[in-house]
Amino acid sequence: MDWLTALGFGERGWGPALVDGAVMTLLVSIAGLAIGAALGSLVAWAKLSGARIAAAIGEGYAALFRGLPELLVVYFVYFGSSALLTAVGHLLGFEGFLGVPAFAAGALAVGVISGSYQAEVFRGAFLAVAKGEIEAARSVGMGRWLMFRRIIAPQVLRFAIPGLGNLWQVALKDSSLISVTGLTELMRASQLASNATHKPFTYYVAGGALYLALTAVSDRAFGLAEARATRGMRRETT
Amino acid sequence: MSESQTLSYALTVAGLHKRFGSLEVLKGVSLQAREGDVISILGSSGSGKSTLLRCINLLETPDEGVVTVAGETILMRKTRDGRSAPADRHQVDRIRSELGMVFQNFNLWSHMTILENLIEAPVHVQKRPRGECLEEAHALLAKVGIGDKADFYPTHLSGGQQQRAAIARALAMRPKVMLFDEPTSALDPELVGEVLRVMRSLADEGRTMLIVTHEMNFARDVSDKIIFLDQGLVEAEGPPSELFGNAKSERFRQFIATERT
Amino acid sequence: MFLRLLAALQVTLSVWALSVFFGAFIGCGVTWMRVSGVLPLEWIARAYIFVFRGAPLLVQLFVVYYGLSSFPAIRASVFWPFLRDAFNCATLSCALCTAAYQSEIFRGALAGVPHGQIEAARACGMSGFLLFRRVIFPIALRQALPPYSTEVISMVKATALVSLVTLWDVMSVALKIRNDTLVTYTPLLIAGAIYFVVNYLIARAFIFIEQWLSPHLRARSA
Repeated sequence: MDWLTALGFGERGWGPALVDGAVMTLLVSIAGLAIGAALGSLVAWAKLSGARIAAAIGEGYAALFRGLPELLVVYFVYFGSSALLTAVGHLLGFEGFLGVPAFAAGALAVGVISGSYQAEVFRGAFLAVAKGEIEAARSVGMGRWLMFRRIIAPQVLRFAIPGLGNLWQVALKDSSLISVTGLTELMRASQLASNATHKPFTYYVAGGALYLALTAVSDRAFGLAEARATRGMRRETT
Repeated sequence: MSESQTLSYALTVAGLHKRFGSLEVLKGVSLQAREGDVISILGSSGSGKSTLLRCINLLETPDEGVVTVAGETILMRKTRDGRSAPADRHQVDRIRSELGMVFQNFNLWSHMTILENLIEAPVHVQKRPRGECLEEAHALLAKVGIGDKADFYPTHLSGGQQQRAAIARALAMRPKVMLFDEPTSALDPELVGEVLRVMRSLADEGRTMLIVTHEMNFARDVSDKIIFLDQGLVEAEGPPSELFGNAKSERFRQFIATERT
Repeated sequence: MFLRLLAALQVTLSVWALSVFFGAFIGCGVTWMRVSGVLPLEWIARAYIFVFRGAPLLVQLFVVYYGLSSFPAIRASVFWPFLRDAFNCATLSCALCTAAYQSEIFRGALAGVPHGQIEAARACGMSGFLLFRRVIFPIALRQALPPYSTEVISMVKATALVSLVTLWDVMSVALKIRNDTLVTYTPLLIAGAIYFVVNYLIARAFIFIEQWLSPHLRARSA
């Protein structure tokens, strides 16, 4: 069977499996990025608030995950989360082993790593919001929640887009490591296809090409988002 | 002008044209500087004064025109797409090492101390012995008033001190002609004076200097000749007494009226 | 257990050092092509960077190790003695990957050299290699150090992936110990500690180098 058929969508082709894998990759990466955003904004808030203990915890968290290999974190989260869940289950009276689904563990792992970098992106973005705008909001009597919702958050997002675009690409690539948990995202799909057909080159290159396609599309999407978000902002002239 | 006439001038520029895209910034500018002449080039922004200076040491390439430094003409050629380019790279480097340029933003090399900045080109471009360059560098730093800052880095100096260091760096090349591109425009008002003082003493020594500046009083006091550029052409030219006292050019009289002195 | 993991560190560090080293040379080449001004060369460089930065390293490793060896033509060629060894494949793949990242760092550093300082050097008559050697390279080097240290540390973490192409590095030894002894967390914890310490030492080393090269950025004492 020549490689075109192999990749194709016919009965014996592995094309659909790879595409399914790509979709799974997208989903787990989005989930991971979201978890990372939640953790990252929390840590950024801790660092910015000036409360020393919170800031120290935040620093420790960031330093920890910048020093550990991503693969190690994936294994640790995968094994650890199941054990944790089982322990909690025992506390609540359940018997036996409670496993955390691979998707959740994978997303959590990616999220925890991403969060440590996102914290820095959010912190920098927040500091970039002009103080004057916040003062202006205060002086018209905006309450803190309103000010956050209408002035601070939109601006922070605006400044954070380039950094987040980068971290999204990183999340996409880190998601390939989740394959070790058995989740059939794109990497695992390529592996299964290559093992079944004994054509490793074809399927790993095809998988790579799909990753590149995801990267290219993401690039475009973030570029558009950045252009739209920064319309009307002062351009830095070189 | 004749061959023998160009030889007696320190610097001549004939018929310089320069275009940036569709905008023609220099439309045929000529000037002559004898040895010891101090020429101030005045004009409003966009008149082409900086471009003129940068064409002389080929930081910009003139589209037409001839530049001659100490009797040596810079050879030009046409590239395949019709643009102008210097014909001999080595000649350009050599002539540049005979011209000393002082920039508006000082442009000292940030990774070297002041002393290292001064000896860099003499040692590596002019291939003079290091000991001699070091001695001369110390003397020059003392002359411009920052002798004690030799081992400091540029970022540790004030703007005025940095510009004086930049002047010393240009002097270290033993230049035949010095080019000043708005040397005080980037300085805080209190620091301008110290730089102008150094430039005045250089003029008194008999150095050949071309100065693009906005400092009207300085230009009037120190120059042998003023050149007023307007829209890419020499609109007025002459000794300061003539131009500031009784200029024939209406535009020049408007110009000095609006410029703060 | 700890000693076994420490022994495996040698594999980890060898892959790391060789890939960073060769990656630097390849990266220089790619940067040179990228800024050359010759369009075909620029396109090749951009394509290289896109592929090797866009695809996950794991895919790249598998393509080189599993993929290349599936071609009879390669097995028969002169490269086979080199390519049949997992260590060589892994190091090659990592080197190609880091080269793409390093190339972008070099390019950014070159672009970050203040234009005015280059002009001042030109105005003194410097050009060509002299200009590069005395002005452009020193300044670009200092600009490159912070992102370069990040990339170097990333590579240490990336070497953990070679455990998936049959190399016995810290990661795979930790997993084996875990399998053999059924001790669940300690091997991973110790492995994590080892990686953490190595990365910390590298980060300190770079800070030291940066400070040593940048007396011009520190506050003046006295």
